[in-house]
Amino acid sequence: MLLADFGTSYFKLLDTDKGAEPEIIPTRALSPDFTADLATGHNAKRRSRKSINELTALARGGRKLIDDANFTLLDCGSRDIKYIRFQGNEVADMGWNAECGASMGFTIELLAKYYDINYSALRIPETGFSITCGVLGMSRIFDAVVNGSSETEAVAKFVRGIARNGHRFTGSPDRLYLSGGLCDNALFTGCFPCDLIPLGRFVLLEGLKEYRAKQR
Amino acid sequence: MGKRIGIVGVPPLEVIRELNRNRYTIVDLDEPQLQHPINLTAKYMPKVYCAVLRTVVLNVMHLRLDKIYIDVGPGKCDCALHVATILKDIQDVPIIRTRNQDQEGYGTPICQSHLPLLEKMEDITRGVQSVDPYTPCQPSEPTAGFWGVPPRDFSILSLFPDTTHIYGWTRCMENKTPADLTLEYYYNPDIPTIFFAQSFCAKTALAKHLATLHPRALYMDCDVQAGSSGRAKVEAFLELTKR
Repeated sequence: MLLADFGTSYFKLLDTDKGAEPEIIPTRALSPDFTADLATGHNAKRRSRKSINELTALARGGRKLIDDANFTLLDCGSRDIKYIRFQGNEVADMGWNAECGASMGFTIELLAKYYDINYSALRIPETGFSITCGVLGMSRIFDAVVNGSSETEAVAKFVRGIARNGHRFTGSPDRLYLSGGLCDNALFTGCFPCDLIPLGRFVLLEGLKEYRAKQR
Repeated sequence: MGKRIGIVGVPPLEVIRELNRNRYTIVDLDEPQLQHPINLTAKYMPKVYCAVLRTVVLNVMHLRLDKIYIDVGPGKCDCALHVATILKDIQDVPIIRTRNQDQEGYGTPICQSHLPLLEKMEDITRGVQSVDPYTPCQPSEPTAGFWGVPPRDFSILSLFPDTTHIYGWTRCMENKTPADLTLEYYYNPDIPTIFFAQSFCAKTALAKHLATLHPRALYMDCDVQAGSSGRAKVEAFLELTKR
Protein backbone atom coordinates (compact mmCIF):
# COMPACT_ATOMS: atom_id res chain seq x y z
CA MET A 1 0.00 0.00 0.00
CA LEU A 2 1.31 3.43 -0.94
CA LEU A 3 1.05 6.06 1.81
CA ALA A 4 1.94 9.64 0.92
CA ASP A 5 2.34 12.97 2.65
CA PHE A 6 2.02 15.51 -0.17
CA GLY A 7 3.96 18.50 1.10
CA THR A 8 4.26 21.73 -0.88
CA SER A 9 8.00 21.35 -1.58
CA TYR A 10 8.57 17.64 -0.88
CA PHE A 11 6.40 14.60 -0.72
CA LYS A 12 7.10 11.74 1.59
CA LEU A 13 6.25 8.28 0.33
CA LEU A 14 6.04 4.93 2.10
CA ASP A 15 5.40 1.63 0.35
CA THR A 16 4.22 -0.60 3.20
CA ASP A 17 4.56 -3.74 1.08
CA LYS A 18 8.30 -3.23 0.63
CA GLY A 19 9.08 -2.63 4.29
CA ALA A 20 11.69 -0.05 3.30
CA GLU A 21 12.33 3.40 4.76
CA PRO A 22 10.13 6.27 3.52
CA GLU A 23 11.40 8.26 0.55
CA ILE A 24 11.59 12.04 0.29
CA ILE A 25 11.01 13.33 -3.22
CA PRO A 26 10.79 16.95 -4.46
CA THR A 27 7.15 17.69 -5.29
CA ARG A 28 8.10 19.16 -8.65
CA ALA A 29 9.57 15.75 -9.62
CA LEU A 30 6.20 14.08 -9.06
CA SER A 31 4.75 12.43 -12.13
CA PRO A 32 1.36 13.97 -13.08
CA ASP A 33 -0.40 10.60 -12.93
CA PHE A 34 1.05 9.43 -9.60
CA THR A 35 -1.65 8.24 -7.19
CA ALA A 36 -1.30 7.00 -3.60
CA ASP A 37 -3.66 4.65 -1.78
CA LEU A 38 -3.91 6.78 1.35
CA ALA A 39 -2.56 10.31 1.66
CA THR A 40 -2.57 13.62 3.43
CA GLY A 41 -1.39 17.13 2.55
CA HIS A 42 -1.92 19.49 -0.33
CA ASN A 43 -3.25 17.68 -3.39
CA ALA A 44 -4.02 14.56 -1.35
CA LYS A 45 -7.65 14.56 -2.46
CA ARG A 46 -6.63 14.77 -6.10
CA ARG A 47 -3.76 12.32 -5.91
CA SER A 48 -5.04 9.50 -3.72
CA ARG A 49 -7.85 7.01 -3.45
CA LYS A 50 -8.43 8.03 0.18
CA SER A 51 -7.27 11.17 1.93
CA ILE A 52 -7.33 12.43 5.51
CA ASN A 53 -6.67 15.97 6.60
CA GLU A 54 -3.25 17.01 7.87
CA LEU A 55 -4.28 17.90 11.41
CA THR A 56 -5.84 14.47 11.82
CA ALA A 57 -2.71 12.80 10.48
CA LEU A 58 -0.51 14.97 12.72
CA ALA A 59 -2.60 14.13 15.79
CA ARG A 60 -2.56 10.39 15.09
CA GLY A 61 1.16 10.38 14.33
CA GLY A 62 1.93 12.39 17.45
CA ARG A 63 -0.11 10.11 19.66
CA LYS A 64 1.76 7.10 18.28
CA LEU A 65 5.26 8.57 18.64
CA ILE A 66 4.95 10.52 21.89
CA ASP A 67 4.69 8.58 25.11
CA ASP A 68 2.95 11.30 27.11
CA ALA A 69 -0.71 12.07 27.80
CA ASN A 70 0.01 15.82 27.64
CA PHE A 71 1.96 17.25 24.74
CA THR A 72 2.06 19.96 22.10
CA LEU A 73 3.23 19.05 18.61
CA LEU A 74 4.09 21.65 15.95
CA ASP A 75 4.46 20.82 12.27
CA CYS A 76 6.44 23.38 10.27
CA GLY A 77 5.92 22.86 6.58
CA SER A 78 7.06 24.77 3.53
CA ARG A 79 3.82 26.66 3.25
CA ASP A 80 2.09 26.64 6.62
CA ILE A 81 2.41 25.75 10.29
CA LYS A 82 -0.02 23.72 12.32
CA TYR A 83 -0.14 22.29 15.80
CA ILE A 84 -2.13 19.98 18.01
CA ARG A 85 -2.23 19.93 21.81
CA PHE A 86 -3.26 16.91 23.84
CA GLN A 87 -4.25 17.11 27.49
CA GLY A 88 -4.93 13.88 29.36
CA ASN A 89 -4.86 11.96 26.05
CA GLU A 90 -7.67 14.18 24.70
CA VAL A 91 -7.39 16.83 22.00
CA ALA A 92 -7.35 20.14 23.85
CA ASP A 93 -6.49 22.62 21.12
CA MET A 94 -5.28 22.88 17.57
CA GLY A 95 -4.35 25.52 15.03
CA TRP A 96 -3.49 25.87 11.39
CA ASN A 97 -1.92 29.01 10.10
CA ALA A 98 -1.82 29.09 6.33
CA GLU A 99 -1.95 32.83 5.80
CA CYS A 100 -0.09 34.78 8.50
CA GLY A 101 2.38 31.92 8.98
CA ALA A 102 2.80 31.60 5.26
CA SER A 103 5.79 30.17 3.49
CA MET A 104 8.10 30.00 6.49
CA GLY A 105 9.80 26.70 5.63
CA PHE A 106 9.92 27.57 1.97
CA THR A 107 11.52 30.95 2.67
CA ILE A 108 14.19 29.45 4.95
CA GLU A 109 15.21 27.03 2.19
CA LEU A 110 15.09 29.77 -0.44
CA LEU A 111 17.34 32.06 1.60
CA ALA A 112 19.94 29.32 2.14
CA LYS A 113 20.21 28.80 -1.60
CA TYR A 114 20.20 32.50 -2.47
CA TYR A 115 22.83 33.52 0.09
CA ASP A 116 24.70 30.18 -0.05
CA ILE A 117 24.34 29.65 3.70
CA ASN A 118 25.02 26.48 5.67
CA TYR A 119 22.61 26.76 8.61
CA SER A 120 24.47 24.20 10.70
CA ALA A 121 27.52 26.48 10.72
CA LEU A 122 25.63 29.51 12.04
CA ARG A 123 25.72 30.63 15.65
CA ILE A 124 22.32 30.99 17.33
CA PRO A 125 21.70 34.74 17.57
CA GLU A 126 21.01 36.49 20.87
CA THR A 127 18.22 38.53 19.30
CA GLY A 128 15.97 38.16 16.28
CA PHE A 129 13.37 39.81 14.12
CA SER A 130 9.71 39.86 15.08
CA ILE A 131 8.20 37.89 12.20
CA THR A 132 4.79 36.39 11.54
CA CYS A 133 5.16 35.66 7.84
CA GLY A 134 8.07 34.32 5.82
CA VAL A 135 7.42 36.50 2.80
CA LEU A 136 6.90 39.78 4.67
CA GLY A 137 9.78 38.91 7.01
CA MET A 138 12.30 39.05 4.16
CA SER A 139 12.11 42.84 4.10
CA ARG A 140 13.63 42.75 7.62
CA ILE A 141 16.69 40.98 6.16
CA PHE A 142 17.10 43.58 3.45
CA ASP A 143 16.74 46.43 5.98
CA ALA A 144 19.31 44.85 8.31
CA VAL A 145 21.84 44.37 5.48
CA VAL A 146 21.35 47.98 4.36
CA ASN A 147 22.05 49.03 7.96
CA GLY A 148 25.34 47.15 8.16
CA SER A 149 24.51 43.59 9.26
CA SER A 150 26.12 40.72 7.41
CA GLU A 151 23.78 38.62 5.29
CA THR A 152 24.33 35.53 7.44
CA GLU A 153 23.68 37.46 10.65
CA ALA A 154 20.45 38.90 9.21
CA VAL A 155 19.24 35.52 7.97
CA ALA A 156 20.00 33.95 11.37
CA LYS A 157 17.86 36.60 13.05
CA PHE A 158 15.12 35.91 10.54
CA VAL A 159 15.22 32.17 11.33
CA ARG A 160 15.12 32.93 15.07
CA GLY A 161 12.05 35.12 14.50
CA ILE A 162 10.30 32.31 12.66
CA ALA A 163 11.07 29.79 15.41
CA ARG A 164 9.84 32.18 18.11
CA ASN A 165 6.66 32.86 16.14
CA GLY A 166 6.01 29.12 15.86
CA HIS A 167 6.49 28.74 19.61
CA ARG A 168 4.03 31.58 20.36
CA PHE A 169 1.55 30.13 17.86
CA THR A 170 1.38 26.92 19.90
CA GLY A 171 0.69 28.79 23.15
CA SER A 172 4.34 29.00 24.35
CA PRO A 173 4.62 25.56 26.00
CA ASP A 174 7.66 24.59 28.11
CA ARG A 175 8.17 21.49 26.00
CA LEU A 176 7.40 21.32 22.30
CA TYR A 177 7.61 18.43 19.86
CA LEU A 178 8.52 19.40 16.30
CA SER A 179 7.59 17.71 13.02
CA GLY A 180 8.75 18.48 9.49
CA GLY A 181 11.86 19.12 7.45
CA LEU A 182 13.05 21.92 9.74
CA CYS A 183 13.83 19.29 12.39
CA ASP A 184 17.14 18.90 10.50
CA ASN A 185 17.97 22.61 10.69
CA ALA A 186 20.16 23.07 13.79
CA LEU A 187 19.86 26.85 13.71
CA PHE A 188 16.06 26.67 13.63
CA THR A 189 15.76 24.06 16.37
CA GLY A 190 18.29 25.92 18.52
CA CYS A 191 16.26 29.11 18.43
CA PHE A 192 13.22 27.79 20.32
CA PRO A 193 12.98 29.19 23.87
CA CYS A 194 11.82 25.85 25.30
CA ASP A 195 12.67 22.19 25.54
CA LEU A 196 12.35 21.19 21.86
CA ILE A 197 12.11 17.57 20.76
CA PRO A 198 12.43 17.06 16.98
CA LEU A 199 10.51 14.05 15.67
CA GLY A 200 11.62 14.26 12.04
CA ARG A 201 9.82 14.41 8.73
CA PHE A 202 7.60 11.35 8.88
CA VAL A 203 5.12 12.13 11.67
CA LEU A 204 2.25 12.54 9.19
CA LEU A 205 3.16 9.24 7.50
CA GLU A 206 3.04 7.66 10.95
CA GLY A 207 -0.44 9.16 11.31
CA LEU A 208 -1.47 7.56 8.03
CA LYS A 209 -0.16 4.19 9.25
CA GLU A 210 -2.20 4.57 12.43
CA TYR A 211 -5.31 5.51 10.47
CA ARG A 212 -4.85 2.47 8.24
CA ALA A 213 -4.37 0.16 11.23
CA LYS A 214 -7.59 1.49 12.83
CA GLN A 215 -9.54 0.91 9.62
CA ARG A 216 -8.53 -2.73 9.43
CA MET B 1 -46.55 46.45 -5.58
CA GLY B 2 -45.74 45.52 -1.93
CA LYS B 3 -42.98 47.24 -0.11
CA ARG B 4 -39.56 45.64 0.39
CA ILE B 5 -38.25 46.11 3.90
CA GLY B 6 -34.67 45.32 4.89
CA ILE B 7 -33.86 44.02 8.36
CA VAL B 8 -30.52 43.80 10.16
CA GLY B 9 -30.23 41.57 13.20
CA VAL B 10 -33.43 40.56 14.98
CA PRO B 11 -35.86 43.48 15.14
CA PRO B 12 -38.48 43.40 17.95
CA LEU B 13 -41.51 41.16 17.46
CA GLU B 14 -43.83 44.16 17.22
CA VAL B 15 -41.92 45.31 14.12
CA ILE B 16 -42.06 41.88 12.46
CA ARG B 17 -45.75 41.57 13.36
CA GLU B 18 -46.45 44.90 11.65
CA LEU B 19 -44.46 43.95 8.54
CA ASN B 20 -46.30 40.61 8.32
CA ARG B 21 -49.67 42.29 8.80
CA ASN B 22 -48.96 44.60 5.85
CA ARG B 23 -47.66 41.63 3.82
CA TYR B 24 -44.41 43.45 3.10
CA THR B 25 -41.50 41.49 1.68
CA ILE B 26 -38.75 41.18 4.28
CA VAL B 27 -35.15 41.07 3.05
CA ASP B 28 -32.56 39.75 5.53
CA LEU B 29 -29.64 42.09 4.95
CA ASP B 30 -27.28 40.06 7.19
CA GLU B 31 -27.15 37.39 4.48
CA PRO B 32 -25.57 37.73 1.02
CA GLN B 33 -28.39 38.71 -1.37
CA LEU B 34 -26.21 39.32 -4.43
CA GLN B 35 -23.01 38.08 -6.04
CA HIS B 36 -21.13 41.39 -5.98
CA PRO B 37 -17.60 41.42 -4.46
CA ILE B 38 -17.62 42.47 -0.83
CA ASN B 39 -14.65 44.80 -1.36
CA LEU B 40 -17.04 47.28 -3.00
CA THR B 41 -17.95 48.31 0.55
CA ALA B 42 -14.41 49.70 1.04
CA LYS B 43 -15.79 52.97 -0.28
CA TYR B 44 -17.78 53.36 2.94
CA MET B 45 -16.12 51.27 5.63
CA PRO B 46 -12.80 49.60 6.56
CA LYS B 47 -11.94 46.30 4.92
CA VAL B 48 -11.03 44.92 8.34
CA TYR B 49 -14.55 44.80 9.75
CA CYS B 50 -17.23 42.24 10.54
CA ALA B 51 -18.07 40.46 7.25
CA VAL B 52 -21.76 40.25 8.20
CA LEU B 53 -22.02 44.02 8.53
CA ARG B 54 -19.99 44.55 5.36
CA THR B 55 -22.56 42.29 3.71
CA VAL B 56 -25.33 44.52 5.07
CA VAL B 57 -23.73 47.58 3.45
CA LEU B 58 -23.12 45.69 0.19
CA ASN B 59 -26.78 44.66 0.06
CA VAL B 60 -28.01 48.17 0.80
CA MET B 61 -25.73 49.62 -1.88
CA HIS B 62 -27.39 47.49 -4.54
CA LEU B 63 -30.94 46.63 -3.46
CA ARG B 64 -34.03 48.78 -3.85
CA LEU B 65 -35.65 48.95 -0.44
CA ASP B 66 -38.42 51.08 1.02
CA LYS B 67 -37.25 51.05 4.60
CA ILE B 68 -34.58 49.40 6.78
CA TYR B 69 -34.93 48.26 10.38
CA ILE B 70 -31.56 47.79 12.03
CA ASP B 71 -31.31 46.44 15.55
CA VAL B 72 -28.56 48.25 17.44
CA GLY B 73 -29.29 47.34 21.05
CA PRO B 74 -27.84 44.66 23.33
CA GLY B 75 -29.36 42.04 21.01
CA LYS B 76 -26.98 43.00 18.21
CA CYS B 77 -23.73 44.96 18.59
CA ASP B 78 -22.07 48.37 18.71
CA CYS B 79 -20.75 47.86 15.19
CA ALA B 80 -24.36 47.76 13.92
CA LEU B 81 -24.99 51.07 15.68
CA HIS B 82 -22.24 52.68 13.62
CA VAL B 83 -23.28 50.91 10.43
CA ALA B 84 -26.76 52.41 10.95
CA THR B 85 -25.14 55.85 10.74
CA ILE B 86 -23.30 54.89 7.55
CA LEU B 87 -26.50 53.58 5.96
CA LYS B 88 -28.34 56.77 6.88
CA ASP B 89 -25.65 58.87 5.20
CA ILE B 90 -25.31 56.83 2.00
CA GLN B 91 -28.99 56.10 1.28
CA ASP B 92 -32.23 58.08 1.11
CA VAL B 93 -34.18 55.11 2.51
CA PRO B 94 -35.58 55.59 6.04
CA ILE B 95 -33.34 53.83 8.55
CA ILE B 96 -35.15 52.81 11.74
CA ARG B 97 -32.94 51.90 14.69
CA THR B 98 -34.47 49.38 17.10
CA ARG B 99 -33.36 47.99 20.44
CA ASN B 100 -34.83 44.53 20.78
CA GLN B 101 -35.24 43.55 24.43
CA ASP B 102 -38.04 41.01 23.90
CA GLN B 103 -38.28 38.50 26.74
CA GLU B 104 -41.05 36.21 25.46
CA GLY B 105 -39.27 32.91 24.74
CA TYR B 106 -40.44 30.99 21.67
CA GLY B 107 -38.40 27.89 22.53
CA THR B 108 -35.50 26.33 20.62
CA PRO B 109 -36.78 23.17 18.91
CA ILE B 110 -34.75 23.71 15.72
CA CYS B 111 -31.45 24.09 17.62
CA GLN B 112 -31.99 20.64 19.13
CA SER B 113 -33.52 18.86 16.14
CA HIS B 114 -32.26 16.08 13.83
CA LEU B 115 -32.00 18.42 10.86
CA PRO B 116 -28.62 18.89 9.17
CA LEU B 117 -26.87 21.86 10.78
CA LEU B 118 -27.03 23.88 7.57
CA GLU B 119 -30.83 23.45 7.42
CA LYS B 120 -31.17 24.24 11.11
CA MET B 121 -29.33 27.52 10.51
CA GLU B 122 -31.39 28.38 7.43
CA ASP B 123 -34.65 27.69 9.29
CA ILE B 124 -33.59 29.82 12.25
CA THR B 125 -32.48 32.81 10.17
CA ARG B 126 -35.63 32.56 8.04
CA GLY B 127 -37.70 32.34 11.24
CA VAL B 128 -36.72 35.90 12.16
CA GLN B 129 -39.13 37.09 9.47
CA SER B 130 -42.18 35.53 11.14
CA VAL B 131 -43.99 35.73 14.49
CA ASP B 132 -45.64 32.33 14.05
CA PRO B 133 -44.84 29.71 16.72
CA TYR B 134 -42.52 26.86 15.73
CA THR B 135 -43.76 23.44 14.77
CA PRO B 136 -42.73 21.06 17.57
CA CYS B 137 -40.12 18.48 16.52
CA GLN B 138 -38.39 15.55 18.18
CA PRO B 139 -35.05 16.55 19.77
CA SER B 140 -31.93 14.59 18.84
CA GLU B 141 -29.32 13.20 21.22
CA PRO B 142 -26.47 15.70 20.78
CA THR B 143 -23.00 14.49 19.76
CA ALA B 144 -21.51 17.90 18.95
CA GLY B 145 -22.19 21.57 19.58
CA PHE B 146 -22.00 24.71 17.49
CA TRP B 147 -21.92 27.83 19.65
CA GLY B 148 -22.09 31.25 18.06
CA VAL B 149 -23.65 33.47 15.46
CA PRO B 150 -24.81 32.38 11.99
CA PRO B 151 -21.57 32.47 9.98
CA ARG B 152 -21.20 34.65 6.89
CA ASP B 153 -20.22 31.45 5.03
CA PHE B 154 -22.78 28.72 5.78
CA SER B 155 -20.74 26.08 3.90
CA ILE B 156 -18.70 25.33 7.01
CA LEU B 157 -21.86 23.99 8.67
CA SER B 158 -22.03 21.06 6.26
CA LEU B 159 -19.01 19.53 8.05
CA PHE B 160 -20.97 18.90 11.26
CA PRO B 161 -23.09 15.82 12.02
CA ASP B 162 -26.89 16.17 12.01
CA THR B 163 -26.85 15.56 15.76
CA THR B 164 -25.13 18.90 16.35
CA HIS B 165 -27.02 21.18 18.70
CA ILE B 166 -26.85 24.95 18.36
CA TYR B 167 -25.97 27.30 21.23
CA GLY B 168 -25.02 30.94 21.68
CA TRP B 169 -26.61 33.88 19.90
CA THR B 170 -28.16 31.68 17.21
CA ARG B 171 -30.15 29.93 19.95
CA CYS B 172 -31.23 33.38 21.18
CA MET B 173 -32.34 34.16 17.62
CA GLU B 174 -34.55 31.10 17.50
CA ASN B 175 -35.96 31.93 20.94
CA LYS B 176 -36.60 35.47 19.66
CA THR B 177 -34.77 36.91 22.66
CA PRO B 178 -31.52 38.16 21.07
CA ALA B 179 -30.52 40.16 24.16
CA ASP B 180 -30.81 37.19 26.54
CA LEU B 181 -27.19 36.93 27.73
CA THR B 182 -27.91 34.04 30.08
CA LEU B 183 -29.13 31.96 27.14
CA GLU B 184 -26.21 33.14 25.02
CA TYR B 185 -23.65 32.04 27.64
CA TYR B 186 -25.18 28.58 27.94
CA TYR B 187 -23.30 25.57 26.48
CA ASN B 188 -23.31 21.82 27.00
CA PRO B 189 -20.03 20.70 28.65
CA ASP B 190 -20.71 17.05 27.81
CA ILE B 191 -20.34 17.36 24.05
CA PRO B 192 -17.39 18.59 21.94
CA THR B 193 -18.24 22.13 20.91
CA ILE B 194 -16.91 24.60 18.39
CA PHE B 195 -17.15 28.17 19.65
CA PHE B 196 -17.48 30.29 16.53
CA ALA B 197 -17.50 34.03 15.95
CA GLN B 198 -17.09 36.22 12.91
CA SER B 199 -13.61 37.71 12.72
CA PHE B 200 -13.51 41.30 14.05
CA CYS B 201 -16.77 40.80 15.97
CA ALA B 202 -16.91 41.69 19.68
CA LYS B 203 -18.26 38.18 20.32
CA THR B 204 -14.83 36.71 19.50
CA ALA B 205 -13.80 37.52 23.09
CA LEU B 206 -16.80 35.66 24.53
CA ALA B 207 -16.33 32.72 22.17
CA LYS B 208 -12.66 32.35 23.09
CA HIS B 209 -13.38 32.74 26.79
CA LEU B 210 -16.15 30.12 26.84
CA ALA B 211 -13.95 27.77 24.82
CA THR B 212 -11.37 27.89 27.61
CA LEU B 213 -14.06 27.01 30.18
CA HIS B 214 -15.46 24.11 28.15
CA PRO B 215 -13.60 20.78 28.61
CA ARG B 216 -13.67 19.79 24.90
CA ALA B 217 -13.80 22.91 22.79
CA LEU B 218 -12.27 24.59 19.80
CA TYR B 219 -12.42 28.33 19.28
CA MET B 220 -12.49 29.53 15.71
CA ASP B 221 -13.28 32.65 13.77
CA CYS B 222 -13.77 33.18 10.07
CA ASP B 223 -13.92 36.31 7.96
CA VAL B 224 -15.76 36.38 4.63
CA GLN B 225 -15.25 32.72 3.76
CA ALA B 226 -14.06 29.66 5.60
CA GLY B 227 -10.66 28.77 4.14
CA SER B 228 -9.25 25.27 3.78
CA SER B 229 -7.40 25.51 7.09
CA GLY B 230 -10.60 26.50 8.93
CA ARG B 231 -12.49 23.62 7.37
CA ALA B 232 -9.67 21.22 8.22
CA LYS B 233 -9.73 22.35 11.85
CA VAL B 234 -13.46 21.61 12.11
CA GLU B 235 -13.07 18.21 10.44
CA ALA B 236 -10.12 17.23 12.63
CA PHE B 237 -11.73 18.46 15.85
CA LEU B 238 -14.96 16.56 15.22
CA GLU B 239 -13.12 13.39 14.26
CA LEU B 240 -10.58 13.47 17.09
CA THR B 241 -13.11 14.23 19.83
CA LYS B 242 -15.60 11.58 18.74
CA ARG B 243 -16.31 8.97 21.43
